[in-house]
Amino acid sequence: MNTAAPTPIPRQIALYAIAGIGLAVWAFPVLWGLLTSFKTERDVLAYPPVFVFTPTLANYREVIFGASSIVPNLISSLIVATLATALTMLFAVPAAYAMARLRFPAKRGTGFYVLATQMLPPVGLIIPYYLVLQKIGGLDTYGGLTVIYLTFSLPFAIWLMVSYFEDVPLEMEEAALLDRAGRLRALWHVILPQVRGGIAVTTIFVFLNAWNEFMFAVVLGGNRVRPVTVAMFNFISVEQTQWARLAAGAMLAMAPVILIGLFAQRHIVKGLTVGAVKGGGRR
Amino acid sequence: MTEIAPINTGAVRIEGVVKKHGQTTVLHGIDLAIEPGEFFVLLGPSGSGKTTTLRILAGLEAVNAGHVLMDGVDVTTREPGARDVAMVFQSYALYPHMTVEQNVGFPLKMVGVGRDEMGRAVAGAAAKVGIGHLLQRTPGQLSGGQQQRVALARAIVRQPRLFLLDEPLSNLDAKLRLETRLELRKLQRSLGVTTVYVTHDQEEAMTLADRLAVFMDGRIVQVGTPREIFARPMSVDVAGFIGTPPMNLLAGEWEGHAVSVAGSTLPVAFESATARDVVIGIRPGDLRLADGGLAVRVERVEDLGDSAIVNLKVGAQALKLKTDRLPSLREGDDAFVDFAADRAHLFDAAGGARLA
Repeated sequence: MNTAAPTPIPRQIALYAIAGIGLAVWAFPVLWGLLTSFKTERDVLAYPPVFVFTPTLANYREVIFGASSIVPNLISSLIVATLATALTMLFAVPAAYAMARLRFPAKRGTGFYVLATQMLPPVGLIIPYYLVLQKIGGLDTYGGLTVIYLTFSLPFAIWLMVSYFEDVPLEMEEAALLDRAGRLRALWHVILPQVRGGIAVTTIFVFLNAWNEFMFAVVLGGNRVRPVTVAMFNFISVEQTQWARLAAGAMLAMAPVILIGLFAQRHIVKGLTVGAVKGGGRR
Repeated sequence: MTEIAPINTGAVRIEGVVKKHGQTTVLHGIDLAIEPGEFFVLLGPSGSGKTTTLRILAGLEAVNAGHVLMDGVDVTTREPGARDVAMVFQSYALYPHMTVEQNVGFPLKMVGVGRDEMGRAVAGAAAKVGIGHLLQRTPGQLSGGQQQRVALARAIVRQPRLFLLDEPLSNLDAKLRLETRLELRKLQRSLGVTTVYVTHDQEEAMTLADRLAVFMDGRIVQVGTPREIFARPMSVDVAGFIGTPPMNLLAGEWEGHAVSVAGSTLPVAFESATARDVVIGIRPGDLRLADGGLAVRVERVEDLGDSAIVNLKVGAQALKLKTDRLPSLREGDDAFVDFAADRAHLFDAAGGARLA
């Protein structure tokens, strides 16, 4: 990159302007939510909106320690998202390896099937899922919701991981076979270390998808299993909406997402550009 | 440093091996016998089946028919890891996340060799190929030549009965390639391990091989020592492939002790009772400028410093002459060339087989 000619100044200004606008549009609701979470309900409803106010931690105290605490819901979310992520990766990594490397009957068909499951609109599946879970007593259970999450996270994870496995040169695996590793140890010692970036990215995506999921959670969950995305609605009722507490709850729910995002930023960007350059996934 | 003792195993036999990729047949039933300790080269143009043959020896490709025997044991269906063979890939296929030491030690680690013994073996193998000072680096920090040595060390560290090398020098620059070629030969001699080496570079094959097999279109067309193959190519295809520049091949008619080419009559050492269409082959180095013989027109003179290549035309057919001295010829000049009668190679015009 350091050999590229410097970008002309006007072009640079334009790029920054576009990026700035994009960032503002994206960040505004988040920042507004952050401000709101420190306001009293009175300040929230003030019109015109106030930007200078005495901040309060009352909303956070309420949503953490108060009667409408969302901590149990955060725990619910954590359990479901962690379970779904762990199971997804447990199955997706070997499945993706098989799709990338092995020859087996109906390989193309299987690959298409995995992709096709992503094309179904999730709304269309809610009622069948509800009926199935009802029959087997899986409504409002961690097991039930986790299994449902697997149905869409697993194909997604397989599909993402296949490209990482395909990026590992076949010869490297053959070298490991000749070095008497056998297929499983070749996978463990030689292939997996080279796709660990991909595994990290996929894990993060799967976790975030499960953490942010709302539609299945609201229909298939209940009083016992109530992820934080659903619990947020406690603050919205017919009589009034407790905007400040809702905002505080939303900030808490977003915190892990933002933390993971910051922490794994480098991995994610690299992960998204993998395959752009041949052999780019090797190092 | 532990010395690796020469091993007297490593006989390889290939019997009637057929390999198909879908509808295309890549190997049409090849037979080959390689002696223990031999440096055996598989030579041929790309797509001739030499790499496929090597991969079949490694166990990386299954055969459609035929057998592979090592030291008399049928290994046709054995897994690569169960054949006791080591391979150096064209791309080296080093493990990028491991240090050089871990790379070289990997084949030992996989069979549960202890830490101390592994350390000694790795140090010994690394010293043999001169990478002892690089053990803590990762492959990404090495030059191409160093990577190639790491791949070699990884192959020799476990003293296999057979080395397989797939164009291991093709990614090196010309100077390094020549040096490494010599070292490779020395290394193989000192280890005494049977080595099968694939290349499309006939000069490499000539300098390295004890014996070589020439592949053409999925068949072995000739097996022999480099000298035999150079001196007596058994077909037009082999003749046209071996030698730099390759042999001149001209269409002609052979009768009695002469071949007539484009109106000129050229004496040859062999006799044909009846007139027949042939291809006559003469190595560029065997052609000489003369006062009579084959009438030619000079196309271009290439001065190589210590020698020169003169490009000639006989009618529409091209011809090359190699000489030590720069001739005083210019483009467009008419000249004559001839050759010693016993230097001509005669091939059947129809099938390409050697006649004399």
